[in-house]
Amino acid sequence: MMLLVKAALGLGGTIVLAGAYAMREGVIRIDVDEYRSGGSHVHLWVPAAAVPMAMHFVPGEHMRCASEQAREALPILHVVVKELKKYPDADFVEIVGSNEHVRVRTHDGKLQIDVDAPDEKVHVLCPLSTIEDVTRQLEEHGPAA
Amino acid sequence: MSNLMRTISRPREVISDRYRTLFAKTALIAATALLASPLGASAQATSAPANTGQSSSEKATTSASKDRWLHVRVISSDAKGETVRVNIPLELAEKVLPAIHQDRIHDGKVKIDDAHVNDVDLRALVEAIRTTKDGEFVTVQSNDCDVRVAKQSNHLIVHVLDKENSKKSEVEIKVPMKVIDALFSAGKDELDLVAALHALSAQGDTELVSVKDHENTVRVWLDSKNVTE
Repeated sequence: MMLLVKAALGLGGTIVLAGAYAMREGVIRIDVDEYRSGGSHVHLWVPAAAVPMAMHFVPGEHMRCASEQAREALPILHVVVKELKKYPDADFVEIVGSNEHVRVRTHDGKLQIDVDAPDEKVHVLCPLSTIEDVTRQLEEHGPAA
Repeated sequence: MSNLMRTISRPREVISDRYRTLFAKTALIAATALLASPLGASAQATSAPANTGQSSSEKATTSASKDRWLHVRVISSDAKGETVRVNIPLELAEKVLPAIHQDRIHDGKVKIDDAHVNDVDLRALVEAIRTTKDGEFVTVQSNDCDVRVAKQSNHLIVHVLDKENSKKSEVEIKVPMKVIDALFSAGKDELDLVAALHALSAQGDTELVSVKDHENTVRVWLDSKNVTE
């Protein structure tokens, strides 16, 4: 009986620790709602630390392909993210209309993009450190690497 | 009584048991707090974004007050009534521009055709303005519009008042000469945007562009705040 309790405690502790480790960088949140016929509704919450980790398991061929497609944007993205990390809480763009609201900002070290319009709502929240990790991994698989 | 006697006879064990219980409780609370903190933080971070806007803006104003920010604000008074606010840290723009290689922009410089625009030699014009003392270069006053181009306190000032329509429009541009110098400091057919931004960052709080007409108000200015008022 004691053995079972110890095993359960160990398993539970491992799960809690793994959960805390995975959530240490927060979550990537993507919410897309298109209010039209056939419009898509995407709601995605992923532990931010899991994405760069998961990218290590993507086959090299696919990574090279992704890196090739993002080749032109990667250097700009790399610099933008590096610089944005210096401004963890700042509003960069805000457009306010009579019935729409667009905002691009950083909040608690996360890039936040919000679009509230009558026909669609988009909310993206992603830690800058995760974008930096992903960019770095894509650069490593680039043709120059 | 026998329990009491046993307790008295084994004081070290009792203290040890008490400490063990206290230690276990403390460790449990600390572990719970430690594990709950990142979850709580992430939950806060992912809460409704609109609610957190004001507080974060206020916090941001104080946190990045030493940086220089370029602000653009467009307020439209038409039916849609749109307001656009753009806030860009000059340092960010300085670092990002050299990474862009698109069309005419390379290494933070933009190519212009032979430095001639409508048969005006821009470089010669800038050199002439730079070496000239303060004064008014162009003054036009008519029923249709007023135009004034002047150099004043090391700033190039362009002021246009359009009176042609019943609804007046007014444009005012005020650019420090050092910024113009830096802009034309690159090669013959290039404008050095990064150098201009760098020169701009050395300036104090200043309004660069102001446009007012019956539909839109546009303001471009420089200060140390990362939010527009």
